[in-house]
Amino acid sequence: MLKLDNISLIYHSKLGETQALKNLSLSVNDGEFVSIVGPSGCGKSTILNIISGLIKTSSGSVILDGQVVSKPNSKIGYMFQRDNLFEWLNILSNVKLGLVVQKKATKENVSYAKNLLAKYGLGDFTNHHPSNLSGGMRQRVALIRTLATKPEILLLDEPFSALDYQTRLIVQDDVYKIIRDEHKTAILVTHDIGEAVAMSDKIFILSKRPGTIKKIVTTNFDSNLTPFERRKQANFNTYFDEIWEELA
Amino acid sequence: MKNYSKEHLHFLQKQRFNVFFTHFCRILLLFCIFLIWEIVANAGIVDPFITSSPSRIFKEIARIAKDGNLFYHSWVTLKETLIAFFISSLAGFVIAVILYVIPPVRKIIEPYLIVLNSLPKVALGPLIIVWVGAGSKAIITMGVLICIVVTTISILNGFVNTNVEQIKLMKTLGANPTQILFKLIMPSNLANIISVLKINVGLAWVGVIMGEYLNSSAGLGYLIVYGGQVFNLNLVMAGVVILCVLASIMYFIIAGIETIVAKKTGSNN
Repeated sequence: MLKLDNISLIYHSKLGETQALKNLSLSVNDGEFVSIVGPSGCGKSTILNIISGLIKTSSGSVILDGQVVSKPNSKIGYMFQRDNLFEWLNILSNVKLGLVVQKKATKENVSYAKNLLAKYGLGDFTNHHPSNLSGGMRQRVALIRTLATKPEILLLDEPFSALDYQTRLIVQDDVYKIIRDEHKTAILVTHDIGEAVAMSDKIFILSKRPGTIKKIVTTNFDSNLTPFERRKQANFNTYFDEIWEELA
Repeated sequence: MKNYSKEHLHFLQKQRFNVFFTHFCRILLLFCIFLIWEIVANAGIVDPFITSSPSRIFKEIARIAKDGNLFYHSWVTLKETLIAFFISSLAGFVIAVILYVIPPVRKIIEPYLIVLNSLPKVALGPLIIVWVGAGSKAIITMGVLICIVVTTISILNGFVNTNVEQIKLMKTLGANPTQILFKLIMPSNLANIISVLKINVGLAWVGVIMGEYLNSSAGLGYLIVYGGQVFNLNLVMAGVVILCVLASIMYFIIAGIETIVAKKTGSNN
């Protein structure tokens, strides 16, 4: 279980200080898929940076499985808006990056990564370079690179916003399925309300800066539905409107 | 072979022709320049004593090739250029890495780099001769000085402009600074480093010839200056032609390496 306990963050710059987050608390259960939505500039991505241990809070702490997170931790995987694949490495080497960096590129772990590639339709591309892959495939590779180190929690920082609309819907389904199949906890930051409703069990709505949790919306869909199918459910629009009202 | 439409075959044919046409015109242009040069020199429209002429240059090259001067002087200059090129490329790279890894030092050194970059290094000629002594050492030093600042600045610039998000990715994967340097910064800058080397080849020649002009008893620069002093313009032109050939060969070797690297890393450009 992940807990953010009373987090505040102040940004310092030449022009002065900005309170980005104020007394923000939230908790995410194991295996849960949650989203964070909010007006732009409210500090959504900052929350992920804090959880991943990339930036330190001014006060408050991040607690993962009872331990305080203060620096990047192999239990936490990060997925970015852009895939950031290394063009000079082939797909397999890209996927192995985290394992190599963490000195865990054992036979067992590498074959786990290879299996993930094969399982999610990239088995024929292990020796290809990223430039030969489509945007959707590249984002899938990026997810598998994150999964290869077997993190418990995935932080998704608007991972679909760089894709065109059609690809985005497909990749949302792909990523959702992969995360569910591998039983991971996921925290998605997005400005796309539909995306949040289609994918999450729980949606945290953030206030304007300084960011704090304004409201929590819990969705209730049949657990077999894909994000795309959820979009066609009657209650999809109810949740959508509820969040829309809050953000307006 | 695939089954292309008639239109596509026509397109391919046209493209092949365009490539051929460009090459043909290039050679034709060179040939025309030489031909006109030769004719006006022989007809006495220009004084071949001052302008030389292709046939005279060719004869001069044949003459110095026969008495061994061609090979000797070319080798001296080539050797100096290669040494200056390797020293400045390697040292420039190492300095760039150090400055990148220690940002405070980078900030402190920055204005010095800018001043050194804008300083005409030839002005240091007399100092170099006094400090390292006349001859090959001074010439190589001149070559190194001309190349090293540009190398450092260009490579450092590439490092600093490495994709910030990729650095962040490495950090989230738990990479330490050394791993970020070797697994991300250096490989992602490979293409940039090679293009810096391409510029360096030209600059190394400039530095070495400059050095040979200032002080030398051998080398193509020496040959050219000597030719000028005794009013043997054929020798001067011969020196320039040989320089052209050698510098181009070195450039194309680096360009070839660039293509191989681009293919290996799978980049499309």
